[in-house]
Amino acid sequence: MKKVIPEHMNPNVESEIVERGGQKYLQTNEAMFTFYKRTKGEFSKYFLGLRDEKKIYGMHCPKCNSTRVPPFELMCPDCDFAEMKEVEVGDTGVMNTTPPVTYFAHSLFQSWVPFGRGRVVLKGVETALPIHVFTTKGVLTPFVFKKGTPVKVVFRNERIGKPTDIFAVPQSELSPAQIAKSPLMESDLDFSAPDEPKLAAGTAAHKASFAEALKMLTALAAGVEKSPRAQHNLAGWKRSVAVKTAGGNLSMLIDDGKLAASEGLPKGLTPDFVMVCEDPKLLVEWMTFKEALTNAIISGRLWISVNKEFTTIFKLDRLPRSTHRDAK
Amino acid sequence: MKKVGIVGAGITPCKSRWVERTYYGLSQMAVKECMKDAAMSIKDVDAVVFGIYNDIFEMSAIPEHPLQGIIGLTNKPGMRVTNGGATGAYAMLAAYTWVASGLYDKVLVLGVEKATDCFDFESMTETPEVIKTIGWSGDTFFERELGWTASDSYAEVVLGYMDSYPNDLKPAVSAKIAEILCAQAKHNEFAQRRDETVTAEMAFNSRYVVYPFKLLEMCVYTEGAGAVLFASEETTRAICKNSGKAPIWISGVGASNEHSVAGPDYRRHKDMGRIWSDHISSHKAYEMAGVKDPVKDIQVVELHDAFVKQLQITMGEMGFVPVGQTDALVEEGIMTPGGKVLVNPSGGLTFGGHFVGGSNIFSTWSARREMLSRGFKRGLVHGTGSTVSQYGVAMVFEQD
Repeated sequence: MKKVIPEHMNPNVESEIVERGGQKYLQTNEAMFTFYKRTKGEFSKYFLGLRDEKKIYGMHCPKCNSTRVPPFELMCPDCDFAEMKEVEVGDTGVMNTTPPVTYFAHSLFQSWVPFGRGRVVLKGVETALPIHVFTTKGVLTPFVFKKGTPVKVVFRNERIGKPTDIFAVPQSELSPAQIAKSPLMESDLDFSAPDEPKLAAGTAAHKASFAEALKMLTALAAGVEKSPRAQHNLAGWKRSVAVKTAGGNLSMLIDDGKLAASEGLPKGLTPDFVMVCEDPKLLVEWMTFKEALTNAIISGRLWISVNKEFTTIFKLDRLPRSTHRDAK
Repeated sequence: MKKVGIVGAGITPCKSRWVERTYYGLSQMAVKECMKDAAMSIKDVDAVVFGIYNDIFEMSAIPEHPLQGIIGLTNKPGMRVTNGGATGAYAMLAAYTWVASGLYDKVLVLGVEKATDCFDFESMTETPEVIKTIGWSGDTFFERELGWTASDSYAEVVLGYMDSYPNDLKPAVSAKIAEILCAQAKHNEFAQRRDETVTAEMAFNSRYVVYPFKLLEMCVYTEGAGAVLFASEETTRAICKNSGKAPIWISGVGASNEHSVAGPDYRRHKDMGRIWSDHISSHKAYEMAGVKDPVKDIQVVELHDAFVKQLQITMGEMGFVPVGQTDALVEEGIMTPGGKVLVNPSGGLTFGGHFVGGSNIFSTWSARREMLSRGFKRGLVHGTGSTVSQYGVAMVFEQD
């Protein structure tokens, strides 16, 4: 059974001395926690609708004719608290504004990154529904969703009556049949066919940068063998990565604390994910501390085929600094 | 309403972590400095308003209760205010009304916050736990579980603004403002990042934390405390005569809280592309103070710059530049060195420090200091807070 507070987040009962300016100060491991059996009260219809009926309910004011989702109020304050009525609303709409995308989450939400937290104005509704937004076409960047992007609400296969029971995807990624289907389920989507960016023909500069990047990556892999920090960064992690650039292709193999790099795409196995960057100079910048791969994804310079593999990118980002620190 | 003056102010150094002090000790330090500045005894203060934002940071549901006695105000009235990022400004608003109404004559405002006692035992760093703690400030039914954070909440507003005004908030302009704030923090001996040098190029090239916010263009987490003392007109003149410092009058106040749910009409819900709370609060304060044109009438602004791009939007909402053309702050030299308005001479919350419950008090301390030292006629202090920049407070200060 999943615990409300994951066991691994729970520190030991300990204390320690911290020194500042020649003085000793005591600090102790503590926690401020409260458990709840929290009622969803008047929101129960909405959350049960998500969980059991796979429907979205809002509240409608008969006086001002406004429908509001989520159903955050029983009475309409704009009409002197006129009683509102529950109504079922549709599952298509548009983005209220461009949503932020979270890449660096705290411990409770790390497993989702990158994720978008946007607001969707469902058809016929006045207010915007806070909702996760994802793409089926690879990594989520800040440029997938914009104000007005038509979206479809998708229901998770496993639902527990929480806001995370649903998410939205761009309608442009769906077939007409999928857009028309209600409810559209997570299992109805195809996340296995991302839109890989097309690369332009490589220039001489691209080829030169690729050669430099490959050489540096080989050196980085050798550095990992001598770096306890870097090995810790990759501990317990196994990934085969295809890297495509305009200057050439290469492979990275991560194997529980080890890194290997070679020219050409992985042979004899399907890579866990693909990295695409037009200019291989980005890889050089990554290994010389000038640019983080995570930042390159956020700014659109680097694309990866599987959203959740951002975690692997995060691990790769640590390697140059880890090997550098251990070499010193 | 009685005329209200500021007669003293004091702050602690802003630090990312005060291992050496709890919030009790920080509070005493700030109050002592404030009373020293006013050249009077705490025994002569009538009441206190506490600004403390987050119970979880202080690890207490009534975090102000131990402070009442240790700041020397036993048996006197004390009230805590908590309003997200705008806690300090709202605490000052409450204290202002106590004096202006005639209920009390001399009212202390104490803002204090710990933050980085919070610790994430997975990453063995403070920051993720601080972010998680602030995360409990989001709507707990519909938003928090989607991964709500303070920075992504303000990013929503800035992205909404960028949807409406795609040619504003150019990265080079935001980076230049970061450079200006950094340079100004060097003149603030209490600034957290006083020893840092951040150029526009460094800010421009710094990594994204959440798009479009870059690491060197956003506020830091700070522990510290600040205190200011308000008094009625007659008492203000007497205290200032004794301390030798000129009175600073609070000539205008304004506050506004927007709806927390997004919708198309700002009068009914949150217009995600604007910060109407800043617009309404500042214009209310201007009306009360008789400010017609803020660029001409106000010489120093200390505004709550949680994020540089939000600083720009706020300056637009407060009328220093047109909404949608806030790059003029740099491109037309409004806030560049020697420009028409001195903005965040403390370094702001970005480089000076952001101890949430007292940040706006820190801003007040700085604005008053600049007015006294440079002889400015008018100053403006601003606070913003809660999800999607929902809360806004503005106060106009004036010198005889």
